[in-house]
Amino acid sequence: MKPRTAEPMEVGAELPTLAKTISQRQIDCYSGVRPNSIHTDLEWARKKGFRAPLAQALMSTAYVAQLMVDFAGVGFVKGGKISVSFIKPVIVGDTLTVHGTIKSREREGDKTRVTVEVWCENQDGVKTMVGTASGLESDLKK
Amino acid sequence: MVEFKTISYEAITVGEELMSDDFTVKPEDVDTFAFAVDDHNPWYFRDSPFGGPITHPTLLGNQALLMRHNKYIVPAGLHAKMQFEFVEPIRVGMRVRSYGKIVDKYEKRGRHYMVTEFETREEATGKVLTRGQFTQMIFPESGVHRETTNR
Repeated sequence: MKPRTAEPMEVGAELPTLAKTISQRQIDCYSGVRPNSIHTDLEWARKKGFRAPLAQALMSTAYVAQLMVDFAGVGFVKGGKISVSFIKPVIVGDTLTVHGTIKSREREGDKTRVTVEVWCENQDGVKTMVGTASGLESDLKK
Repeated sequence: MVEFKTISYEAITVGEELMSDDFTVKPEDVDTFAFAVDDHNPWYFRDSPFGGPITHPTLLGNQALLMRHNKYIVPAGLHAKMQFEFVEPIRVGMRVRSYGKIVDKYEKRGRHYMVTEFETREEATGKVLTRGQFTQMIFPESGVHRETTNR
């Protein structure tokens, strides 16, 4: 685990980015190999209009969860939220960079919910996913 | 016995309930997921602040997402939106199942979408582990809309 900051991060602060280059083997493990799948069957993906198999969009939420577990720890695992839109397909071989910027801090009971604006960009700088994720900050200290 | 129909905008009904198969979370599932998303956090393999290892929070996302495959033939689909709320940590050895309901279907710019709410629960206790909502595009028979694939 990366060490977490001792002081709360300010609104506008950027979280450390993650980079993910996605192989067909990883897509196969994530989605399960089967024929007639846009994720694991090249011919079927082409038949459906894609130049290569697609990574499942849900994989990007796993990357966001990694970013948030690194940032908020237990306060994300129990009480965390993700809300994202998938705006462009991710193709096998793409490299995604996962970004997060602190958007707000709001009281929620005896804790503080920290909301992070999150997005993924591919190697061409095109955003593939946008949205928010949040965690409960007081749990950071546990 | 399930009579599978090919999914279409007309075939699905708002209010329709969906359910996954049950599934026991195994150590090999944690290993496979870690490889797939390249996240080898030691909390998932050794110990965590929750006492013992937990799994990646999104490990069971596909269980929920694929519920419609228990009723329909789904030749292809695109995932448009996803909301997760992580309620309790998931642990190896839990037997889990996802329950869902189609809460909306709509057409936007000539494309068809369905919206599903879900909860993933531990079967033994009924405890909610994860809940949320997702929006999936329903492909036309011919393939996908051209502007979806233009890269």
